[in-house]
Amino acid sequence: MPLLLGLFSVTAACSSKSSEISDKSTDTITIGAAVSDTGKYAREGKDTRQGYDLWQDWVNNEGGGIEVGDRNYKVEIIYYDDEGSPDTTARLVEKLITEDKVDFLLAPYSSGLTKSASAIAEKYDKIMASGGASSDSLFTRGFKNLFSVFTPAQYYTESILKALSTKGAKTIVVAYEDTEFPTNVAEGTEKWAEKYGMEVLAVETYPKDTADLSAITSKFKSLDPDVFIGGGHFNDALLFVRAAKEQNFNPRAMVLTVGASNPKFVEEMGEDSAYIFGPTQWESTMNYQGQYFGTSAEYAQKYQEKWGETPTYQAAGATAAALALHIAIDKADSLDTEAVRQAMKELDEETFFGPINFDETGKNIDKPMGTIQILDNQIQVVVPEEISLAQVNYPVPGWKEREDNDSVASNSN
Amino acid sequence: MTQLLQTLINGLLLGGFYAVMVLGFSVFWGVMGVINLAHGEFLMTGAYLAWLLFTSFSIDPFASLLLIMPIMFIVGFIMQKFLLNRLLERPSLATLLATFGISVILANIHKIIYSADPRNVPVSYSGSFELLGLSLPLVKSLIFVVALAIMLGLYLFLQYTRLGKAIRAAAQNKNAAKIVGIDIEQVYAITAGICIALTAAAGAIISPTQAIFPFMGQPFTLKAFTITVLGGLGQIPGALLGGMLLGMAEVMVATYVPGIGTNLGVVISLLVLILVLIFRPQGILTGLKRMPID
Repeated sequence: MPLLLGLFSVTAACSSKSSEISDKSTDTITIGAAVSDTGKYAREGKDTRQGYDLWQDWVNNEGGGIEVGDRNYKVEIIYYDDEGSPDTTARLVEKLITEDKVDFLLAPYSSGLTKSASAIAEKYDKIMASGGASSDSLFTRGFKNLFSVFTPAQYYTESILKALSTKGAKTIVVAYEDTEFPTNVAEGTEKWAEKYGMEVLAVETYPKDTADLSAITSKFKSLDPDVFIGGGHFNDALLFVRAAKEQNFNPRAMVLTVGASNPKFVEEMGEDSAYIFGPTQWESTMNYQGQYFGTSAEYAQKYQEKWGETPTYQAAGATAAALALHIAIDKADSLDTEAVRQAMKELDEETFFGPINFDETGKNIDKPMGTIQILDNQIQVVVPEEISLAQVNYPVPGWKEREDNDSVASNSN
Repeated sequence: MTQLLQTLINGLLLGGFYAVMVLGFSVFWGVMGVINLAHGEFLMTGAYLAWLLFTSFSIDPFASLLLIMPIMFIVGFIMQKFLLNRLLERPSLATLLATFGISVILANIHKIIYSADPRNVPVSYSGSFELLGLSLPLVKSLIFVVALAIMLGLYLFLQYTRLGKAIRAAAQNKNAAKIVGIDIEQVYAITAGICIALTAAAGAIISPTQAIFPFMGQPFTLKAFTITVLGGLGQIPGALLGGMLLGMAEVMVATYVPGIGTNLGVVISLLVLILVLIFRPQGILTGLKRMPID
């Protein structure tokens, strides 16, 4: 009996929903998004929703809706909780398309969930804009409906290697966890190192859940490289710093692919986080500017006013993805999938998130990856130069030098 | 030569840590016949306690042992007295399930309290000192010394105190121990308290070298299982030998095999485990074992 009741209430909810939509469909663009509210991506999912919502509010109020033909449309985003599960994501995206009859889709957070969601979007030929996925494998499936504003994983270390090579760095060592994302980053790294004339002295892999990386740093120490690039996740970033310090391993630059740009990293590591480099998709201190949300800082301020917290790059990416879709609808002057897809492909726009220009496969090829360096316990954007406020600090002092400097400083006090 | 010596030192230090990490697990299994699947989670709990004491009260993780060990002794005592003692007469699946349940509960409680963000204890002496061209990591050397001290302490306790003898008697033959007037349930509860306290202590002293997060425990439980089987059940020299062997093997392979060394090190340790199980199933050293009842 409760089951029957449940069925009734679901049908009732559906019918009321669809009648509401059909009444309004003359002047509302409905957009569907399955985004994590619970599960392992609960935190990032919240950022993603807030990013999408910021765009929605802005379009409907300040932006005055979207003009298509001679009509003015408001936008409405329908959300479901994907629970962090690829299967649930697929089911919900299908529901959004077949039952809620949305016009366009926004992607969930994470490469894994986006992989699953975009497969359904492709099946029903619906455009999906993503602001939270960077895995290269998303763009090698021949899909034509997924567009992602993030810089893909293989470009993570390009800008920093270019900058370091001009500063005289000649040799590099790489260590990475043998899972998909870190592997993509590392393969890219070897490619860029070669392009910028650096010699790769050694490449090491390690398994997930490893608790000790000192053998790797000890081996690297004897090679004495200029640049160390390592990591896969936040935990490894901590382990590498600990291992490097305890082995007195002193690369002239230490780049950790994930973790360093997270303020928590400085909090947990204290002084030992000094001088570390880390790639970042976006920071509010970047000097980007666009027609719609103004500069990166102005976007951050708007976000702060609405949500009472500073935007993460996940939130900014979400807003940028929705914005890309918005601009494409504007340019196409149509809600037709084919026309908007064409406009997405032709898009070449400067935004608060950086340049957005999708290639045939749907990845954003114009946005360079930014790099931060931790200087004076602050996360400072140092690369690319034209959008950064601080300078690359290279070569960085060794561990022993830092101790000596500290003792000199404390003696003189 | 320097490289080889450095590798030996790294292996020795890792081995010392493995040995102290495995003690609680090994004695728990040896004395009560319970495979504690929540071993890694108790280690994680110790690490979080050390982190909390360090960040809130600036208490050094090594000094915090004086607080953490009594607290965790009580936790272990209660767990054994009110939960595991009731399950001992059941098939061993019951205690496996119970400890597995505890591991899930502990990990998720910590996730709720501390969130999933990894933590670290940034002690001021996290560097190294140079000796004859070799780098000796300060924290790991200290862990090694403390580990040896803990092992020696436990050894003397089991060997020479009345309670220690009772624990060994209970491990050898439960019924005979009962006949001579040993309160088995009480002895079990005390043993569990000691084991959990030791495990949490291991977690606390490694907190400066690890990323501390709610789900860090499981790999440690697996490693503890390997070392216990390798060295022999419930025996301190066995834990030391097993830990050293594994630590040394992993570091050697990781250092001298290029590219995939760290991965291969893990494979080697499991390969050694299989070989030991085939050729010397009682472990390299014969550990605490049950005497035949007849």
